[in-house]
Amino acid sequence: MIKIKNLHKSFGTLEVLKGIDLDISQGEVTVIMGPSGSGKSTLLRCINRLEEITSGTVIVDGQDIMDKNTNINMIRTEAGMVFQQFNLFPHKTTLENVTLGPLKVRKMSRPDAEKLGRQLLEKVGLADKADTYPDHLSGGQKQRVAIARSLALRPKAMLFDEPTSALDPELVGEVLEVMKQLGREGMTMVVVTHEMGFAREVADRVIFMDDGVIVEENTPKEIFSNPQNPRTQGFLKSIL
Amino acid sequence: MGFDFKYSVMWESVPTLLVGMKLTILITIFGLVIGFVLGALTGLLKIARNPLSRKLAGVYIESIRGTPIMVQVMFIYFGLPMALGMRIHPMAAGVVAIAVNSGAYIAEIVRGAFQSIETGQTEAGRSIGLTHFQTMYYIIWPQALKRMIPPLGNQFIISLKDTSLLVVVGVGELTRTGQEIIAANFRAFEVWLTVALMYLVMTLSLSRLLNYFERKMDINK
Ligand SMILES: Nc1ncnc2c1ncn2[C@@H]1O[C@H](COP(=O)(O)OP(=O)(O)OP(=O)(O)O)[C@@H](O)[C@H]1O
Ligand SMILES: [Mg+2]
Repeated sequence: MIKIKNLHKSFGTLEVLKGIDLDISQGEVTVIMGPSGSGKSTLLRCINRLEEITSGTVIVDGQDIMDKNTNINMIRTEAGMVFQQFNLFPHKTTLENVTLGPLKVRKMSRPDAEKLGRQLLEKVGLADKADTYPDHLSGGQKQRVAIARSLALRPKAMLFDEPTSALDPELVGEVLEVMKQLGREGMTMVVVTHEMGFAREVADRVIFMDDGVIVEENTPKEIFSNPQNPRTQGFLKSIL
Repeated sequence: MGFDFKYSVMWESVPTLLVGMKLTILITIFGLVIGFVLGALTGLLKIARNPLSRKLAGVYIESIRGTPIMVQVMFIYFGLPMALGMRIHPMAAGVVAIAVNSGAYIAEIVRGAFQSIETGQTEAGRSIGLTHFQTMYYIIWPQALKRMIPPLGNQFIISLKDTSLLVVVGVGELTRTGQEIIAANFRAFEVWLTVALMYLVMTLSLSRLLNYFERKMDINK
């Protein structure tokens, strides 16, 4: 589903990703952990080309994202992105946030888009908030709308960049619930998070990144109970 | 020698002053419509990726902001025709002066409003597959426009008042009309008071109107 080969990314002279190789198959849930500045967000952003890669290849759903013949807007719809800061459109209602993609990108008719939008809002538990503006939602509700907004494009994979770290602790659970359900339904997911419980429950694989490289990867059970690399051990101690 | 204030002078000057006021309004409207288009384009050039377009926009904005509007008016009406070898109608010069002057300030307002929209909004737009243009049109522009309204309102009021400077090129707007009445009746106090009140009516109505728009857009939040 997502194939990354020898990916390098620099900002000016600062090399942030130093040769990443990663293969994510369909339906797999991958959790990425690592200290601040290790390049987790940059890696996610390279997958849907919010950042231009410096060298290497990224293939999403069989298409090289750097290839001139690839329509990047379509790649972005195949890999939906959920941000730490939600980034909902404040001038649009919840339903309008969700239907914008289907209407303008998928060229769906308005009734179809609204039907889909309401289904997705129901799925994330916000059917009654369709006509509410984002400013009137809690953080957890905002993030669930953001997930519905990405799902509205029927993506083949979902990328989550610390989706719960801007939330008050009591709101984290409702967002993780939605994500767990997606994972169980077979969505391919790449999730940057430090929520160990989530990783244990739904991740097929946990990747530990440090300083622009993948230091260690394993099943959650193995990596949490028996980390091999000293940097992984140190990091896991620090977040427990 | 006592000063005897005459209401009647005020009333009598109103019909003539209204003719001038109409010109003031016309020049303001045409000047600001052109100024807005000019300003929006310049503001977008100022944040464009192309360094040359940023430079050009910068030169225009800086030269207008760094020189008195009176000099700009004189330059357009007396200076340019000499270089171009053609006369320019005072009304046209007035509209051009207001447009060129307000355009530079509006460009800064537009630039500021666009830059105040968080980059996360653009990224969210792009990540649901919208093109650059669609993201601008559906996501960034409506939010930026809303943030522009208060400073734009301010600029509109400034430009309206600036039209009184056109007195130097002989446009028969409100201030000029007042001058002419006084030349005939020597009642400076009453006539200038009336002129001032008429400007006040225009600026207050304009700010009411803008407040109304601002509130109307705010319901959506
Ligand atoms: N647009 C940019 N320009 C310059 N440097 C950047 C840019 N984006 C990220 N960086 C740098 O790249 C490095 C990796 O950043 P990245 O955001 O990928 O880390 P991260 O692992 O997601 O960290 P965090 O846990 O804090 O989110 C950091 O040193 C950061 O300062
Ligand atoms: Mg990050």
